[in-house]
Amino acid sequence: MKPARRTEGLVVTELKDEVLVYDLQIHRAHCLNQAAAIVFKHCDGTKSVEELAGLLEREMGAPADPDHVWLALDRLGKAQLLRQRVKRPPGRGRLSRRELVRRVGIAALLPVITSVVAPTPAEAAATCVSDCTGKPDFTACSSTAPANCSTCVCMGGICLGGC
Amino acid sequence: MAKIDRLGWAEGVCFAAYGVRVGVRVNDPELLRPLTSLFPPGSKLTTSPLVDQLYSLWLGKRRGHALGFHLLYAGVTRRSRTRNLDELLAAFEADLRLSVAAAAPRRVFVHAGVVGWRGRAIVLPGRSCSGKTTLVAELVRQGATYYSDEFAVIDERGRVHPFAKPLSIRDGAQVRKRTAEELGGTVGTAALPIGLIAFSAYHRDARWRPVALSAGQGLLALIPHTVPVRRRPNASLAALQRAVEGACVLKARRGEAEGAAAWLLRHADESAKGAA
Repeated sequence: MKPARRTEGLVVTELKDEVLVYDLQIHRAHCLNQAAAIVFKHCDGTKSVEELAGLLEREMGAPADPDHVWLALDRLGKAQLLRQRVKRPPGRGRLSRRELVRRVGIAALLPVITSVVAPTPAEAAATCVSDCTGKPDFTACSSTAPANCSTCVCMGGICLGGC
Repeated sequence: MAKIDRLGWAEGVCFAAYGVRVGVRVNDPELLRPLTSLFPPGSKLTTSPLVDQLYSLWLGKRRGHALGFHLLYAGVTRRSRTRNLDELLAAFEADLRLSVAAAAPRRVFVHAGVVGWRGRAIVLPGRSCSGKTTLVAELVRQGATYYSDEFAVIDERGRVHPFAKPLSIRDGAQVRKRTAEELGGTVGTAALPIGLIAFSAYHRDARWRPVALSAGQGLLALIPHTVPVRRRPNASLAALQRAVEGACVLKARRGEAEGAAAWLLRHADESAKGAA
């Protein structure tokens, strides 16, 4: 098993300890923490999971385990950043993050991927109104506090949704 | 020629804003004066007939007791049909700003409030109604220089340029326009590097307990507020990367603006000292 990352249709931005990957096909952005970024960087289809664990250990300066790599590969696969999602070999059960931390004791080794959907121009500059008169249905609105804007919408000229 | 071009257009004007050329034509010359006050800050009138976006505004005429509809078109797409002129102008202003924000070739527009403080910018990204303008107004009252209450205009070097339209301050159902001078402040003119990016939203009774974000998390959090990110992801991400590189990024829920503004200015000072 030699996992390979996707190389096409991605914009990769390298930061100090993290990598931000923007997927041009589905317009999603992913922030990879250091551990996930190391696995992503070396995951070129020529290295086995054990070799990747060795590289992770060397670059993080802490004892890494193939289970860390498997967890990173699971998450990279879920984020559609691998050419093909990888399957764990039989007998290698899924470990939770808690179990991994308990086993190694270093949380920084855990791969973390955070994702957001990129907005359309109109979504990025979406306007929330405080008066629904004459506004189209489903415009975000607030009649009491700005916090309502995420839950309330104009319907027939009235701000609804517990507002 | 589109059908719309065959209507009787009486007058038009062309201008450029942030590298986007816009044309506006009207069927009644009287309509041009209120329209020009709605152009984005920094717009310059041009004589070139070539435009990237053409707006057509048709003022409905009174026939007997009936008033015809006022119409707004962007290109050949109808954006508004109303008998209320203020509503038409508001739709024009909103659509125009969004068009410029999405199409500006050398700037990345992020939906955010911005003030300048001691040579660096404080950027407050957030959705509308999240309390951005209130916080910007309070920062200006406490001595910061006003840059924008709607867009952080970021260049390829990660610096913020002013987009200093009057602040739209909500007061219940009403929106009042106030200039920075009316709040006792001044308007910034020079591009500034970003010193602090604060994601904050107003929640009644919230305590101000800011949490620092890493550069990657900060960049990721800016993406939902970045207007051209889908159209120009490479340029947008490069500009955002430079913007967050030298900045301190944090997020917090805030209560009243006064305490949060004072804290932000203090923190910006400390960050600047630390960087020096």
